[in-house]
Amino acid sequence: MSSISLDFAEELKEYSEDKALECFNCGTCAAICPLVHDNFPRRMIRYIQVGAREKILENSDELWRCLHCGLCTHTCPREADPGEIILGLKRFVVANWRS
Amino acid sequence: MFNPRDIIEALAGNVKQTKSPFGIPKFMVNKWFKDLSLPKEGEYLLFTGLMYQFTPFIEKSTQYLEKYEGTKMATLLKYARYVPAYLSGIGLAMMTSGKEKKEAGQTLKNIALLLQKSKINFGYRPDLDNYSGILLYDMGDQKGFVAHAKMLAQKLQNAGIKKIITVDPHTAYALKELFPKYTGISFDVKPYFELLDLEPKDCDLQVTLHDPCFFGRYLQVSDIARKVLTNFGISVSNIRNQGEFTSCCGGPAESISPSLSNEIMEKRAKELEEPGKPIIAYCPICLGNLKKSGADVEDLSTLLVRHI
Ligand code: SF4
Ligand code: SF4
Repeated sequence: MSSISLDFAEELKEYSEDKALECFNCGTCAAICPLVHDNFPRRMIRYIQVGAREKILENSDELWRCLHCGLCTHTCPREADPGEIILGLKRFVVANWRS
Repeated sequence: MFNPRDIIEALAGNVKQTKSPFGIPKFMVNKWFKDLSLPKEGEYLLFTGLMYQFTPFIEKSTQYLEKYEGTKMATLLKYARYVPAYLSGIGLAMMTSGKEKKEAGQTLKNIALLLQKSKINFGYRPDLDNYSGILLYDMGDQKGFVAHAKMLAQKLQNAGIKKIITVDPHTAYALKELFPKYTGISFDVKPYFELLDLEPKDCDLQVTLHDPCFFGRYLQVSDIARKVLTNFGISVSNIRNQGEFTSCCGGPAESISPSLSNEIMEKRAKELEEPGKPIIAYCPICLGNLKKSGADVEDLSTLLVRHI
């Protein structure tokens, strides 16, 4: 089992607005995403909610499949901004590579 | 899929060194204005952001990446050392055909002509026309993007620029939304079609408009493009995914995964082909990608110029 980082959401504040906790996991974003890929982006947002920092780093290549098309953000019923959360995760991973 | 880290570091390095994501010097990329005598000063600055000019190079580079993606060869070659070479430099510029470069330049000439015919007071300054850095933003290189955007915004501000005309959705979004947020410098930014005031020949034509994500959803200006067409007597067919609910053409995935990009593109091309031809695009990336799918597609400016 991967380790859990309790302050992961806090760490991510540097990279995007702190919206992941708004998400109630309805799956609209994953249903509308043109990638039709393994519950993306919802799965990534769930990883943030539970502090699965390592899971995100392990699966980080997937983030760059995102087209930044904005369709998920536009349709999210909780205004959790999933597209921007994915962009924030890209920034987090890039900063991690470079640190 | 290629290793995103290699691709991002190659693009970021290019922007840092040459201010262009493909590492090709600007004088080799930006030539469209040379045989026009455009004024340098005006109420607006025409700012192309070089996206139309880059399209032929992106196409060439994707052709090479496509060859390697998912092959055994790709694993052996170790992307980090070889793939970025296809993404950058004079070599890429040389491999790209003159015909395609000319076509990309013609679109910009058409846009300048449409603005002139609409009596818009604009100037063009090749020294100020630069890449916006948007690819770095989309790829998550926030530091690289902000540094580039600050340099560019400052340059425009120092030149006394206040009003800007953009020609593509990515540059429009960068200048209108991202520059104020990340550089603290704002401009009055308008896409060119918002300013058009033309006397069209009445034409009896039906087209399908492909709204780019950044014009349709992020900036919500696709109704303006529709109005321009209807003013020409051109009817625009309704499709399910249009305007703010438009579907992506797949272009943004081109450098990371050409096969994923193709998959998304095929889906979108099918949605667009159903109601009627030709398809009209108003983004260089969408235009290039839809052309690649074999769709009957042309740029909005090309269509409009034919009917004035
Ligand atoms: S659409 Fe919004 S609320 Fe629903 S799973 Fe996606 S991010 Fe969460
Ligand atoms: S922005 Fe990314 S995650 Fe959201 S719908 Fe588009 S491709 Fe999918």
